[in-house]
Amino acid sequence: MILLEPENVIIKKVVNEKLQKPTSLDQTFVDFDGVRYHMWTPNSKSKNEIILSMSVACWSELEAYGAFQVLQQHYGSDVQKGVEPGYDVSISVDLNTIPQDLEQRNQYINNLSLLKRNAMSAPFLQAFQTQKQLEGTDIPTDGSPIPQGPLLELHYRNQEAIYIQAGIDRVTVIFSTVFQEETDKIFGRVFLQEFVDARKLPSIQTAPQVLYSTREPPLEIRHLPNLIKSDDVGYVTFVLFPRHFANEHIAASTISRIQLFRNYLHYHIKCSKAYMHSRMRTRVADFLKILNRAKLDKNESERKTITGRTFRSR
Amino acid sequence: MRIFSNTLRPYLGTVRASLTAALNLENFSSQIVERHNKPEIESKKSRELILQPLLITRTALEKVLIEPSVNSVRLSIKIKQADEIERILAHKFTRFMMMRAEGFVVLRRKAIEGYDISFLITNQQTEKLLKHKIVDFIIQFMEDVDKEISEMKLSLNARARIVAETYLTSFGN
Repeated sequence: MILLEPENVIIKKVVNEKLQKPTSLDQTFVDFDGVRYHMWTPNSKSKNEIILSMSVACWSELEAYGAFQVLQQHYGSDVQKGVEPGYDVSISVDLNTIPQDLEQRNQYINNLSLLKRNAMSAPFLQAFQTQKQLEGTDIPTDGSPIPQGPLLELHYRNQEAIYIQAGIDRVTVIFSTVFQEETDKIFGRVFLQEFVDARKLPSIQTAPQVLYSTREPPLEIRHLPNLIKSDDVGYVTFVLFPRHFANEHIAASTISRIQLFRNYLHYHIKCSKAYMHSRMRTRVADFLKILNRAKLDKNESERKTITGRTFRSR
Repeated sequence: MRIFSNTLRPYLGTVRASLTAALNLENFSSQIVERHNKPEIESKKSRELILQPLLITRTALEKVLIEPSVNSVRLSIKIKQADEIERILAHKFTRFMMMRAEGFVVLRRKAIEGYDISFLITNQQTEKLLKHKIVDFIIQFMEDVDKEISEMKLSLNARARIVAETYLTSFGN
């Protein structure tokens, strides 16, 4: 499992279970980036009605980018705001109305489990649209600034943010990420360098261009006031070209991928650390074995078998 | 047959010879405090019991310091750290070992200033353990630790490469 999946497995599992056998339900669980879910049956009599609520740290920003409309496109009138205090958005699921056909049903459940991904896709969709509008404009030759879309900020984690900006021929996505400790920082640098280098391979020339810098924010966001200036911060820039969102299908998969970039990076840094740890464990055990060879053999007394005969090793 | 790079062999050979010579220890009670029997190299209370320390250097980054005394020898190793990754790996690895110093009887819990890992061999240990095997262990450690660090570094790079390629390739489709 190298790539992370955009859907939430728990939603999928719970809905599938409840379809088999509806029971009363009250469950809270989490997703990446501090997203919290609450799944429950509000009515103790009818166990077929389930409400799935989600809380996202940056909901106010997402809403400004039209996240609620995006969710309405995906879930229709099932999606509502402010149903449950403490949660930003809720979807009511009626188990009776879930399509019976297996394929349609799986699609429905899959769509439900993509709730976070769909909400987070709003600013990306907006930027893609802005780029389409800007596409016809020419680059001005009189030295005036090149027209570009507004800088969309998404503070989806404490201290970390995504910045999205549409240009005439591209959409720039900038991630700021914080490395919590020294090892993460150095491992992170190795990983990010590989992202830059891998992009140069002939087989992945179609991938978005990747740039990274530590400490110094890229030019696009340098003017922002509240950037943290520290060695622990890394900035990764992805340059998406129109071919990455040429049609709806490609755009959807691009959004799913790029949203999870930060999690993907940190997940693999943690994996490498775990691997090093297990490796060191075995190596230390080997060293211990070598040192134990230095111990003097105890003079063994004569060993005897159960019948009383002397046991001799040759 | 292990292939040594041409400077590693004399380096390890010198460490082996010097350490074997230094491990000529005897039981020696403290001259300062009655009924105390402490490693003199650690207490450093009587100058006449401390011998001349030996510094064996392979490169500016790699060296071994052997400090003999009448009843104990302290050996400190500086592991080669060419870049940031090697530095962090060496640090993690030595820390990992030193936290398990209980098992490694000859390992010092803390490295001395300027070195990555230190061993303290006392006369009690040379009496209980085979002397040449202790030397073997330390030489083996020096050999393996470099190998381990470079292997870990390679595996980190290989992993990063695969991770980056997989992620970027997924955009193509």
